[in-house]
Order: sequence, then structure tokens, then C-alpha cells
Amino acid sequence: MLDHDACDRLISRALRNGGDYADVFCERRRSWSFRLQDGCIHEGSTSIALGVGIRVVAGESAGYAYSDDLSIEALLRAAEAASLIARGAPAGAIASVAVTCAALESLYDRSRDDHAEAARYVELLERADLAARAYDHRINAVNAHVSDELQDVWIATSEGRYVHDRRPMITLGVQAVARLGCERGSGYLGDGGRTSIAYFDEHTPEDLARDAAQIAATNLDAIAAPAGEMEMVVGAGGGGVLLHEAVGHGLESDFNRRGTSLYSGRVGERVASEVVTIYDDGNLPEERGSIAIDDEGIPGQHKVLVERGILRGYMQDTLNARLMGVSSTGSGRRHSFRFLPQPRMCNTYMPAGEATLEEIIASTKRGLYAKHFAGGQVEISKGDFVFMVAEGYLIEDGKITAPVKNASIVGNGPDAMTKVVAVGNDARLARGHYTCGKAGQLVPVGVGMPTVKISSITVGGTSDDAG
Amino acid sequence: MTQDDALEIAARTVDLALAAGADAAEATCSFADRFQVEARDTTVSKLEQSRGSSIHVRLWNGGRLANVTSSDLRADSLRDAIASAYDQSGCVAADPYAGLPHACSVYEGDLELHDPNVADRDWEAKVEDALVLERAIRAADPRVVNSSGSHYVDATNMVALANSIGFRSAYKSTRAARSSAPVAQENGRKRTSHYGTAARAMRELEDCTLVAATAARRAVEMFGARKPATMHVPVIFERDVAALVLGDIFAAVAASHVAVGNSWLADRIGERVGSELVTIVDDGTLPRRLGSSPFDGEGVPTRRTTVFERGVLQTFLYDTYYARKLGARTTGNSTGGGVGANNFYLAAGTHSLDELIAATPRGVLVLGTIGFATEHATGTYSRGARGFMIENGELAYPIDEFTVAGNFAAMLAGVDAVANDLRFDGSTVSPSLRVAEMTVSGN
Repeated sequence: MLDHDACDRLISRALRNGGDYADVFCERRRSWSFRLQDGCIHEGSTSIALGVGIRVVAGESAGYAYSDDLSIEALLRAAEAASLIARGAPAGAIASVAVTCAALESLYDRSRDDHAEAARYVELLERADLAARAYDHRINAVNAHVSDELQDVWIATSEGRYVHDRRPMITLGVQAVARLGCERGSGYLGDGGRTSIAYFDEHTPEDLARDAAQIAATNLDAIAAPAGEMEMVVGAGGGGVLLHEAVGHGLESDFNRRGTSLYSGRVGERVASEVVTIYDDGNLPEERGSIAIDDEGIPGQHKVLVERGILRGYMQDTLNARLMGVSSTGSGRRHSFRFLPQPRMCNTYMPAGEATLEEIIASTKRGLYAKHFAGGQVEISKGDFVFMVAEGYLIEDGKITAPVKNASIVGNGPDAMTKVVAVGNDARLARGHYTCGKAGQLVPVGVGMPTVKISSITVGGTSDDAG
Repeated sequence: MTQDDALEIAARTVDLALAAGADAAEATCSFADRFQVEARDTTVSKLEQSRGSSIHVRLWNGGRLANVTSSDLRADSLRDAIASAYDQSGCVAADPYAGLPHACSVYEGDLELHDPNVADRDWEAKVEDALVLERAIRAADPRVVNSSGSHYVDATNMVALANSIGFRSAYKSTRAARSSAPVAQENGRKRTSHYGTAARAMRELEDCTLVAATAARRAVEMFGARKPATMHVPVIFERDVAALVLGDIFAAVAASHVAVGNSWLADRIGERVGSELVTIVDDGTLPRRLGSSPFDGEGVPTRRTTVFERGVLQTFLYDTYYARKLGARTTGNSTGGGVGANNFYLAAGTHSLDELIAATPRGVLVLGTIGFATEHATGTYSRGARGFMIENGELAYPIDEFTVAGNFAAMLAGVDAVANDLRFDGSTVSPSLRVAEMTVSGN
């Protein structure tokens, strides 16, 4: 997109006032999508984002400017705006830059240059709609969307890296609403990854739609969630949202360098019970959170965050890594060329333990089986989290007894991790299309987990047995 | 870029869509100059200055809708994207309700949305704001030892809209904001908070001292918080938390949700849903407010719409498409493809928040919530929360790690006090309010 000479000029201009480092991030994102509503294809959309972000780093400070005008004049103006941060900073920067191409090992097909024909996407939506409605006669509304995206990034740095990556992403989402009288139940599931529409030949839209419809129908039949403290069994796959929120964010290096995370300065300490191991991996083939290179041009990596309860390390981008005297872990990601990179998660998961699901359920006297979460949020400095349960069941005397609706759980990340008392043998990545938000920036991620039991958690419900 | 230049691009893009085969088209161009500075302690940690542009095109082909969104405004690129979208429209079902609004006149009054002082201010002065905030949060309380950043941000925006039935209009606006996120420490435990102010005009921003003092107070007041017992009690939602509740109410009155069965308020127009104190208005014509604009996302003039009048649901909020579909008239709430709020607010009461607390023998004051999933179809509300236990009309002790839950129908019916502290620092806002009884889940 931008040739070496242009990158060279921009980096030189960006460092004209000094600074330690500069980079140029050029992005072109092409996406193509359809939406279904009321049994009909409601609209189609074509979307293009094209622009360049230029960054200058001076000590702990970053100057940034982006432009979606790609003329060299506009880009030089952006480079000058970014260079303001280094005014008065000591000049230690590289005066001239040499850019080279780095080879990439690929985790996904980087050669595809276009979407498939429109009829194939439309067919996925129509098949999902039919399957959801056929699952249960009480399903009375289905919304579905499909999108296929190609994101090209070109990154040039003052250290001489010049790399390109093309990241495909296909996503199918189905929402089913079941209705009986005034009662309603809703279920949403998504699927996809860094692959192509051929993915859905095997992972059919019918399977996805039936599962979404099953959740909707289950929620229609569900009783109000109980309120108060109880045991919780977290479902395999989607339960990984818990790791992402309760632990993962607290291990991002920006919070730790600045000492705002409760995990700051605690590498090597026990932060979870012995059965807890957590990885973050950018290298899983075709997974949604995978990246051949991150948005700073560093290869994606497998990181051990927590090993048998001991904190092993943080997720690093280049700025925080340099200031902490370590290497980037390939975790620098951005929403788009309009944003500075931040340390972020890729695919966060817990490997399998030994217990079976049946044993875990049987060992639970009174608890909540949270099979799917609808989303969660965490407060970094103290670790308090909340999750909304999308599909949940009551466990009484070792048996699943009734579906419950509208449960949310609140707790504290470090506290919950010390209360993990059983880890299942059924580890898997969640089907879904998880998107993580941080300071207004969204990036695609993956989550995964085996069935896990937590000895005590607060469930917020509306049932009248509250004290 | 002048307004005329922007209108020219929008009009030319409409012509491109018609040339591609569309029978109706609309183009909205947006241009923004953005400035953002973040300070941490005595360091300027981020400084951003950018110029962005984007265009959104809707085109119709026999009632079949397709969209283009692009940041690449070059004519050949737009032509290709429009051709792609036109192809897509061939797969879309013809929809009798789809299309442009009826021809509209343009609002002529001055909403005072643009303050030249925002763009004219020296960037050094803007940087100083962020540094002043950092100093002031530390000065406000010795327990403030760190921060997740203090910010000053502003933007000057221009929006130009043209469509194929002759609408052409543009307007400029500004927005400036100050905020701070201190980290306080006591006995080895950390607490964070966030407080900010935003306005169209510089002079309407709260000053740095007030922003810093409020942010610092919010960080330190939660030390020593306990987990409360599970109970049914009156709950006061402080102003900024109440604004989030209003956001959920908006979702339930948005015709786009009503039409697809995703609103607990469907079929309830004319019913008494809320208490006498619940008057909720959407108004895009308030001068200088952040949710105001002369026309909405499809060129329809904005207006004032009373959504709840003393508890009775009067109307939903519509764009042209959902108005046609549900047999109503647009209320000027189009976002250019969906339904959005203008200034959507609960009318203020007469008592202060302190008076509300004093009039609550036993209850909970909610100062912050986390979580966001709301079942709009069923109207269920559940959030993780923090705040204070109220005993004998006084704040007794801080509480956290609990949830507050209920359903919106009962919450609106249960609103038994509304405070006088409404501020327009966003487009969906509320004064503090009290709900007679909700479920608080803790131990």
C-alpha cells in the first residue's frame, strides 16, 4: 500500500523532534455483510476502512496522528502532528531508517483477495432462519447476520521492520426469540474465525441456529434465578469469558507497568488455586483471536499467564515491554488505524483437568450451572467482575433440576480463582464470536475452558426467596 | 473543507449511486478534527491530533436496501464500493416500507452546536488541562497515589447530508470533555474511579478543580466497603448511574426494538407504566446540548417528543422505516440506518440527592454499576453494583460486590422520588432517582 520510500520519509519526519521509536500502521479493511430479519434478507452492506496511523514514542509518552487521506502531503502533516510529543525530549532516535521485509508463518489463508458470491452468504442466513423456527414452534423471531472481512495491515518501524499481514474473518450470528403469551426467552450464538465461508460446510448454520433456538426455548421455560451466595459450575468453552475478565485483563502490561492492576509486581506469586493454569495464545490456526503478527509487527505467541496457580507473566506490547525491560509478547493490538496499540489478549484458555462433568455436577449440593455467559466486565484495580448468564440451570443435591433465567454473577477475580475446586477433562475453545472492549477499542478474541467448579459465588437474581 | 465542499461530495455520491442503478439514494459525509491528550502524574502520556472523514451511503433498488460505509472518499473507490453494494441489493428482499423519508424542510434556527473557542484554543492550553487534573486529584486526597490517566479531548465535526429527492444540508458542531480516573490506595488495597464532564461549548465544561475533586472523592469513598446482605430495599440510583438506566429505557422505546418483538413495552402505548414522577422526553432541539442536531440521520428535522407523560407511555421513537412499518410518523430519531436518542432524559424533580437520602430510612445508594446485558424483550434488569448502605437517612457505610436486580416495569412504577441534579453531559441523561423496592443480592 505504502512503499518503502514513503514509510522512510514518514518515519524520518515523525522523529524530527527526537523520540525513541516511530512506526507507521497502514490498514485496509474490506467487509461484506448481510442481515436477516422477519424471515427476509433485510439489507446488505459493503464497508471500507482505509487509513494510516503514525506513532512516535518518547520515554513513556506516545504521540499519534492518523489520516484517511493517503496523499503524501496529508501523511507528512500527520507525522508532524505525531512528532509534537517529542518536543523537548532527548534526541536518541535513529536518524535514518532501513526497512526490510520479514517472512511470516501463516496461521490462516493470507492469499484470499475477495468474498464469495452473494448467494452463498444469503443461503447461510436462510438456512439458519428455517432451522431455528423448525426447532420449536414457540420460536417467533429470528435475527441473523453474516459478515466476511479481509483486513490488510502494513507496518513499518524505525527499527527496520516492514511487514504485511492479511487477516480474514468470517462471522455468522443467530438470535432466536421464543414467545408464549407474555413470556419471552432469547438465545444468541455466533460462530466463525479467521477462515472463509467454506468453514460453514462442516459447522452448519442449522447446528448453530438450533442451539440458539434451544437456549431461547430453555429460557422461556426457565424460572427466576435465585439470589445469594452458592456454588457455581462454569460450562466448558464459553466459561472462558470468566478467565478473560477475571484474570486476563489484570495481566495486560499497561496496567501492571503503571501499578494500577492488583497483579502488579506479583510474577512468581500464587494467584489462584493449584488446579488453575491459564494460557493466552495468538498462534491457534484460524481461531478468531489469532494473529500471525500483532499490530506492531511482532509475531503472535503462546504465553503462559498462570501455571498451577503461580503467576508467570504479563501480556506485553512494545512500549510497555521496553519500559519494563522485557520483550514484547506479540500482544500489541488495535481497533483500527485510528487508535494507538494496547496490550491485549488473543485466545485465552485453560487446559483440561481430570474431573468429568458428571462428577462435578454430582458433587454440587446447591449451585448454579452457568453454561453460557452473555458478557462480562471487570474493574482492574480491585478485580471485581460481573457476568450475565445466557443459559443457566439450578443444581440441587447433585442434579440439574431447572433452567433459570436472568441470573448475573458478581465476584472478585483473584478471590474466585482461589476458589476453583475442580477442573474438568472437557477443555475446548468456545464457539462464538467474542469481541473484547478496552478503552473504546474492540478486538476479536477467543476464549476457552473446561468445565470448572467454583466453591462460592454471589448470584444476583430476582427470585423471592431472598432474605 | 467548507460546508459547501462537503455537500458537493455528498451530492456527487448520490449521483454515483443513481448511476449504478439505484432508484433512490442518500449520502452522509462526516469530517472530524480530533484532539486528545492524556496525562499521568507529571507526564504527557498521549497526544493525538487527527483528521478523519467517512461517508455512509444508503441506496435502494426497488425497495431493497444496501449500504456503503467508507473512509476512502476518492471517486473511483466510492464507485467500486457502490457497485458492490448495488450487487448486494439484488439479494435483499423488497420491503414496501424501505426508502427515503418524505421531503422535509430544514430547521432554520441556530442550535449553537459549534463553539469556535474549542478549535481556536492553543494545544498547549489543552495539554495543561490534563496536567492540572493530574495535580488536582493528588492534591484533593493524599490517598490518591496513581491514576489511569486524566484526559482533555475535543472534536470539531461537520456533517453533510444529501439525498435523491433534493435534500441538502450541513451543520458543524463541537464537543469538548475533561475527565480523570484516579487510583487511590489504603492499607495496600486499590480503588479506582472515573468522573468527567462534556459539553458543546468550552464555557459549559465543569472546571478542572471540580472534576478532579469529584473523581478523587469517588475513588476514596469506597474504602472499607463490605458485601451487604441479600435484601429487598429502596434503591437510589445516583445521576450518572440513573443515566445508564435511561439508556435501557430508550432501548425499549426504540421502534427498531419494538418492531422485532424485542421490547417489554410493545403494545403498551396509552398505559400507565411508570409512577406520576416519570416524565421522559426526547428533544433534539435544545440549544447547545450534546444530543441536539438540526436534522437526524436521514435529514428529518429533530423535534421534542414526550415519551412518558406522568407515567403514561405516549409514543415510541421512530425513524422513517419503522414509522411506516408500525403505522406511525417519524419522530426524527434516525441514525441513518437505526433508531437513536437525541437528548433523551427524565424530567428533573425538586429535591436534592441529599434530601432523597435523608428521606430514606433504610436502603441502598448505587454509585456505580458494571455489566451491560439487558434482556429488552423481558425488561429484566440486573447489574453488579457498588455504593452505600443507607440507615436512618444517612450514608452508613460503603458496600460492593452485590447485584441490584428487578424488572423495568416494576422499577418505573416504583420511582417514588426524582432529584433536581439533571445535567446534560451526554445524549441520554437523568437526575438521581429512587425506586421504592428492588432486590439487592449479596451474602
